[in-house]
Amino acid sequence: MRKPDCIKILHKKLPEDVLVVTPTGKTYMYWEATEREAQISQLNLGLCTPVGLGLALALPHRKVVVLDGDGNLLFNLASIADLAVQNPGNLVDIVFDNECYQSCDSFPSATAKGVDLEAIAKGCGIENTWTVRELKEFEQAIDRALGGDQLTFIIAKVAPGEDLVSLPRQEGRENKYRFVRYVERTENIRIINPYPRRRKKDFAPSY
Amino acid sequence: MRKESVRAIITGLKRAGINFVSMLPDSDFTDAQKAVMADKTFTCVPVSNEAIAFGVCAGAWLGGKKAALLITTDGIIASAFPLTTLNLAKNIPVLMVVPYRGSLGDGIWFVGPMALTTEPLLKDLQVAYTVINKIDQVADAIKQAQLSAEAWLRPAAVLLAGEVIFEET
Repeated sequence: MRKPDCIKILHKKLPEDVLVVTPTGKTYMYWEATEREAQISQLNLGLCTPVGLGLALALPHRKVVVLDGDGNLLFNLASIADLAVQNPGNLVDIVFDNECYQSCDSFPSATAKGVDLEAIAKGCGIENTWTVRELKEFEQAIDRALGGDQLTFIIAKVAPGEDLVSLPRQEGRENKYRFVRYVERTENIRIINPYPRRRKKDFAPSY
Repeated sequence: MRKESVRAIITGLKRAGINFVSMLPDSDFTDAQKAVMADKTFTCVPVSNEAIAFGVCAGAWLGGKKAALLITTDGIIASAFPLTTLNLAKNIPVLMVVPYRGSLGDGIWFVGPMALTTEPLLKDLQVAYTVINKIDQVADAIKQAQLSAEAWLRPAAVLLAGEVIFEET
């Protein structure tokens, strides 16, 4: 199974309003190419799943999908425990496990040496934890996860090797603003407030 | 920690509009942390290390929450990475309320070095901060720090020292 093919399935299956959290590297580049607004990207080592957790807790009525990687997750492995304890039913955490640090000459990660992310997630108490190795299984897992309302942790075992992609256009802050404006618009809330000291009575309500 | 300090912290968080808190326990801060957890104003997310807490609070802010961290000076040192690659790189605000381990009056040998590292590290990481020694200044400092964090899209810290964290001064 190859990650670019999984991404195509996700693009086909995920409704546009699903909030997608991606790490740095090729995963985010593939997803950025979908040109969806509802994506917060380039969350480096260990931060992808924690950001997804905070987002899912802040917006419990929205589906949040995290596209994490084995190396990224291993950096903050304890985040699986915190995820399990909070147990947000609106979160689907997908870990693309290619058993290596792809961008670092495929240097092997701990999962190449037998570390089992499914066993860790189950041991932390995430019942809906599945390891999938074939595209058909991946597609079925996504259907189950999107159709349910329980925290789901999917380890997608993918082959090392990536497709050539165009260089990303969005700088990290631009991506953040785009995402925040999307959430503000779809939730009818204000997140960025550059003038918090101004007296409200002097201005027309914007929300 | 004195009850008056705990009350001042809760009051400050509420005046600042904070409604989401992440934390890791600290031996001299648990009274305040338990009080925050018991207060339904706040969605509380205890975590296993502070770096995770920065990620969780960033996610909460992206979802429209006003987020704060109740962490120690150790936690700031442990979180230089998310502060740099997440808060600083993406300009994501967060309020940090921190018992200042290593401030004068602290009597534990291994926190002594934090007197040397905490403030230089905050300056390097471009975290705006203030040190508060008096209980009656705590609530307002928390409110002001949040206001600036929100306007500047940067982290801001309130370091608690003196009578705020020590029983006897």
